[in-house]
Amino acid sequence: MLQFEREVVGVLIESPDQPLRSSVEAFVDGSLKDMPEPIRAGVVAESILLGGYAAALRKLGRIRGDRGLVERLDAWETSPVGVVRQYVRMMRSLVLFAENELASEGAA
Amino acid sequence: MARLETDVLVIGSGAGGAVTAARLARAGRRVTVVEEGPWVDADALEPFSLEEMVAKYRHHGLAAALGNPAIAYAEGRCVGGSTEINSGLYHRLPDYLADEWERVYQIDEFSPDVLARYAEQVESELTVSTVPGAPPPSSAALERGATKLGWRNVEFARVFSYDAQGRGTKQTMSRTMLPKAVAAGAEILPDCRVLKLIRSGDRVLGAECRREHPGGGVERLTITADHVFVCGGAVQSPALLQRSGIRSGIGAGLKLHPTIKIAARFTHPVDHGDVPMHRVTEFSPNLTIGGSASRKGHVAMALADAGVPFDDALADWDNISVYYAAIRSEGSGRIIAVPGLRSPLVTYKLTDADLSRLARGLVHLGELLLAAGATELYPSILGGPVVRRVDELGAWWDGVTRTGANLMTVHLTSTIRMGEDRRRSAADSYGRVRGYRNLHVNDGSLLPDAPGVNPQAAIMAIAARNSDRFLADA
Repeated sequence: MLQFEREVVGVLIESPDQPLRSSVEAFVDGSLKDMPEPIRAGVVAESILLGGYAAALRKLGRIRGDRGLVERLDAWETSPVGVVRQYVRMMRSLVLFAENELASEGAA
Repeated sequence: MARLETDVLVIGSGAGGAVTAARLARAGRRVTVVEEGPWVDADALEPFSLEEMVAKYRHHGLAAALGNPAIAYAEGRCVGGSTEINSGLYHRLPDYLADEWERVYQIDEFSPDVLARYAEQVESELTVSTVPGAPPPSSAALERGATKLGWRNVEFARVFSYDAQGRGTKQTMSRTMLPKAVAAGAEILPDCRVLKLIRSGDRVLGAECRREHPGGGVERLTITADHVFVCGGAVQSPALLQRSGIRSGIGAGLKLHPTIKIAARFTHPVDHGDVPMHRVTEFSPNLTIGGSASRKGHVAMALADAGVPFDDALADWDNISVYYAAIRSEGSGRIIAVPGLRSPLVTYKLTDADLSRLARGLVHLGELLLAAGATELYPSILGGPVVRRVDELGAWWDGVTRTGANLMTVHLTSTIRMGEDRRRSAADSYGRVRGYRNLHVNDGSLLPDAPGVNPQAAIMAIAARNSDRFLADA
């Protein structure tokens, strides 16, 4: 995972449980690595562009802490730009699926 | 580099490849099946779980046909192919489609009677059955809602066998046809990816492969064969042919069933370990309503698709099940092998009429679920809204847009169509690739169109028919 992808996954995981967080991160990392290359190339490009944009917003004080990044992701999820919307949807889906499945397993 | 010789090389071990291997091996042919994915103990992993996704799905289930909108899709990548990961629904090709395809695509010996004969033969080797006793709550909801609205519905048969306690076991290819093939002398090589076919003039001499060994280590393997059957499915088969320099008519015309979902909240717990087996056929063949995998992870993803707060609903996930409306699409797509990349580019162009049909499907599905007693519906359209009453469903008509709809599919077909009409097909009536004497395709790629139902029954019957024709000709 790229640095920005790791940040996104980190703020999307809701559980404070560290082993669970690590397992979710590992699943997302494996899924991104295993993506079809044409799609992974696009995701990498988006991660670099969106990560750079987020870094600039942080410097300007318009993204503050994890909460600020979550709000930015929420805004991107309704972006008029399709690939931006799909980027957030994909990352959120991966985290949601893994966190809920792995938490269920842990509870079982 | 290691070398291996065989009579018939079968590439892929799913519904098409396994049936082909079993029939040819039993006829005395020396058959070698290569499968890119691993051999996974069919009993080792819970169906639709995260572990299964990692072990048996290509790309961890994370692939998409690019377009506006993109359509997520899943394929199996293990011994047994997608039969290991699907719901097991079994539906013969409808007679009217066999008639239509025979006429439009000029497919020889493709009458309903011929296909029925092969379907019977395949079914005699699988266990095709309905659930003993009452259906589970998630499936009963479909039946209840449809009955209340006066809509046709049916419990689809599945390739399942049941023990005395009513426990079902899906009769995947790794449990049925592949053991039969091995018993007849076939060899199966898992973890073996075919890099390209070796061609010479109008013949294919074999394949160059990359084989991973379970204990580590990789070897190049050259397999020479008298005949080659490509059975990797509608994405991988055309990609392999294109990588091998065979491109005429290959990879165009991809068809799929675009699917839109609803997470439905009930006032009572629903089951989550299986997929509903009832289907609403009132609007078939162009629109079918059914149920999806609904483990907690699937419920969470479906709730999130609406893009509205869902913490309260997720806390009540025991009472939530995921349902879908799937359409036959006017649109089509393309598979494009990109030099140097393992995975092809997959594209799909949805038409405006498709979107309209999906909107109608979503509203009908909402009506049905409310009639079945659901109290809250989360649609897979961005911004929802969440619906609690029938008079609120109208809001969804405008929500199914290219920017708002979250779509997926599991059925991909038609990238190497069969038939005698050369303008429309890349393989002949029995799957032999045009321009090659000993190269055959025998999987979902051959279907001229998406059938509107799970295609595995049609794939198996056609694979059996084509195998018999091959044996008769050889």
